[in-house]
Amino acid sequence: MTNSFSGLSKSASIVLVTFIIAACGSSDNSPSADLDLGKNYPSESGGTLISAMTGEPSGLISMIAGESASSAISSNIFNSLLKYDKNLELEGDLVTSWEISSDQKTITFKLKPNLKWADNQPLTSADVLFTWQAVTDEKTASPYASDFQLVKKAETPDPLTFTVTYEQAYAPALDSWAGLQILPKHLLQGQDLHTTSFARNPVGSHYYKLDRWTHGENLKLSRNPNSVLGQAKIDQLITRIIPDNSAQFLELMADNIDYMGLDPIKFSRIIPARPELQQKLALYKELGNSYTYMGFNLKHKPFDDVRVRHAINYAIDKQEIIDGVYLGLGINIASPYKPGTRWSNPALTPYPYDPAKARALLKEAGFADTDGDGILDRDGKPFAFEIVTNQNKEREKSAVLIQRRLKDIGIDVKIRAIEWASFISRFIKTGDFDVVVLGWGLGLDPDQFNIWHSSQQAPGQFNFIGYNNPVVDKLLEQGRLELDPDKRMKIYHEFARTLLQDSPIIYLSAGYGLTAIHKRVKGIDDPAPPAGIGHNSQDWYIPQPLRRNEISQ
Amino acid sequence: MLKYIIKRVLWMIPLLIGISLISFFIMHLAPGDITSNETAFNPKASEESRQKLREMYNLDKPVIVQYGLWLKRLATLDFGKSFASHQKPVFWQTTDKDGNVTKGLIQEALPITLMINLLGLAITLILAIPLGIIAARKYQGWQDRSITLFNFVGFSIPGFWLSLLLMYWLGVVNNWFPISGLHSLNYESLDTWGKIKDSLSHLFLPVVIPSITGLAGITLFVKNGMLDVLHQDYITTARAKGLNEHKVIYTHALRNALLPLITIIGLSIPGLIGGSVIAETIFAIPGMGKLFYDAVLMRDFPVVMGILTIGSALTLLGNLLADLMYAWADPRVRRGVVKG
Repeated sequence: MTNSFSGLSKSASIVLVTFIIAACGSSDNSPSADLDLGKNYPSESGGTLISAMTGEPSGLISMIAGESASSAISSNIFNSLLKYDKNLELEGDLVTSWEISSDQKTITFKLKPNLKWADNQPLTSADVLFTWQAVTDEKTASPYASDFQLVKKAETPDPLTFTVTYEQAYAPALDSWAGLQILPKHLLQGQDLHTTSFARNPVGSHYYKLDRWTHGENLKLSRNPNSVLGQAKIDQLITRIIPDNSAQFLELMADNIDYMGLDPIKFSRIIPARPELQQKLALYKELGNSYTYMGFNLKHKPFDDVRVRHAINYAIDKQEIIDGVYLGLGINIASPYKPGTRWSNPALTPYPYDPAKARALLKEAGFADTDGDGILDRDGKPFAFEIVTNQNKEREKSAVLIQRRLKDIGIDVKIRAIEWASFISRFIKTGDFDVVVLGWGLGLDPDQFNIWHSSQQAPGQFNFIGYNNPVVDKLLEQGRLELDPDKRMKIYHEFARTLLQDSPIIYLSAGYGLTAIHKRVKGIDDPAPPAGIGHNSQDWYIPQPLRRNEISQ
Repeated sequence: MLKYIIKRVLWMIPLLIGISLISFFIMHLAPGDITSNETAFNPKASEESRQKLREMYNLDKPVIVQYGLWLKRLATLDFGKSFASHQKPVFWQTTDKDGNVTKGLIQEALPITLMINLLGLAITLILAIPLGIIAARKYQGWQDRSITLFNFVGFSIPGFWLSLLLMYWLGVVNNWFPISGLHSLNYESLDTWGKIKDSLSHLFLPVVIPSITGLAGITLFVKNGMLDVLHQDYITTARAKGLNEHKVIYTHALRNALLPLITIIGLSIPGLIGGSVIAETIFAIPGMGKLFYDAVLMRDFPVVMGILTIGSALTLLGNLLADLMYAWADPRVRRGVVKG
């Protein structure tokens, strides 16, 4: 035993040194810095695009998985019947054309001829029918089934034709078929979609196919030679799983990933302040289909009084929230639709910041500061409420600014931010809240029946603020039955106008989606069309001289 | 001795049932279930589909019935399937009828976490023992003071902050080390030596940073143990009989001074298995800490229960092992154990 410990510390230092030496000397993987990133390079195929996501998909059958991480990957692997073009108009994806019957109840889809799955099997209307059966099956718990359960009858008269008949005309139907990814019948028949290994080893028809999924680390996609829409430019898409946003940003700075979504601070402060980052990263901003709002529990007093809702709307300075929380990277909205699209009513303007008007309205509603404590009261009760929100920094900050503005007009506000699952079950489902600050991320179809119709108030449904307006109910019902886009537009413009007047929620802002993409990636449309910069990602390319020299396989 | 071990192992069974029962009920005290995840707020996702999911996973039954179902499965060593990861098995791999093997979540995460934490513990011990000895021998000298200062600085620095700084300096500014992840993207195409190098370079930061921040405690233990022992009569005797200082320190003093370390290591076993949420998140390591944290947020009950049960079982085993090691190392304890 003599000397063994001094020996130990000697061997220890040797081990450590070996560890450090072995660990050092990673390869230099960036192309030489003197290459001109701004130069015009001709479009060419090849290369690898590396991105990162914070969460790993649970599986790649997105109708089962439900989460955005899953559809972000699976949308490169699977096609739908329809898709949106760069101006957000529907066009064929797997189909060449579609036809709506005169009674508006039947849609006939004509598939493109000679479609093939990545494994060379033919893709026919039988696959479409199978997918519809799978999503509506008793045993399938797909969060998106309800749209498809409205189909009364689905048929395949021939391998290229697929018809669906609805009980009554259903305008959001086309949008729903643009969202349903078609699955291969020959691989999934008789399998349980909830457990099948296909979800981790999918075979699709789109631009890319899954090569390898290293659990917890990355997913590698490569070009699908059978792609039904022709060939994408970039050979390989790699998505790394990096849960921490700061770590992702470090990887972007070190040139180990090619693009990532940014928060306003990185977008407008950090990157512009660093010339070396500005030189290699291009910044893009685009409006998303989402907005942040403050919603009242309309079943609670005094929020059932429209004057009170108006008063609070006038008392909140939305521009202040946009400037303070989003560093100016958002816009003020007046309807629940993406500005600039067909469905957004251009005639509407947001409520201006007008505290005097707010005070007058509250006075009219019977509020006055009778005891001189600076807080308004009515019937002996002070005007005080709690804003509940989930743990989301932007929402919390917005709530703080609202708290201050409402204090100015004599309303005492407390804020509570809690974890998502608890928030949903403890407050939203039970309806046990006064005011929430939340956001809606919406689809491209204007139908918002689930959010605003008075029938959608049961626990777990989405009209949890308890909005009940027969006029809006009527419009929402009409909007679902009208398939003519222009007539439909009028309905939703009227709906948005009523909603703004009624003010059951206060629109706080619609934030921009912010992205940084390495300048080696070419072919990106800037400014972004309504569909966003990603709409033509199949045409993005990385010129040979600008590629990383590390990843060759 | 054997009787003692058997007795201890048998005792673990009621203990584990108790732990699982308490964990199960505490877990269900938190509001929400798997259906309150992301899709809970997608207007396209209907309440009926969420109800269907609840029925599928038996979440509509009373908690005690759910516990019974869970326990019944566990009796066959089946930890169930994750709700949130496309029904991956919680613990160990399964093979479906077509021969596709699906690996278990814990099976994938545990080796990664164990490797990182064992390496970290090894580095901590390798550094802490000599540092502790030096600090004790040069007690109140400049060596002692600088070691103490270094340790406390390391102890006080928040690990995530140091991690981000070092990631920036070593990964972005200098490109010496990879920033996050476990392997390079071209790992598959490397030769064996390349693979080893690649793994070591990815492990460097996640292993070294926690060991630096964890150094303080162990160094102090070694130092104080050493100081205690150095004042014992038998050390005075050893010196009196003219043994050289080296022999006094490394043969007589150190063995006794290290005894408390066994307890410390025993106590650190839950941490070795549990992993660290923050480190694993920052370094993008798919280990146990991240798995558990995500499972809690998603209300993925089978995974939460699987980790808690397997974690407690391993912890109990670890404690038993530590006790046995103690008995092996210390004759005084051994006599007590054999008699008991």
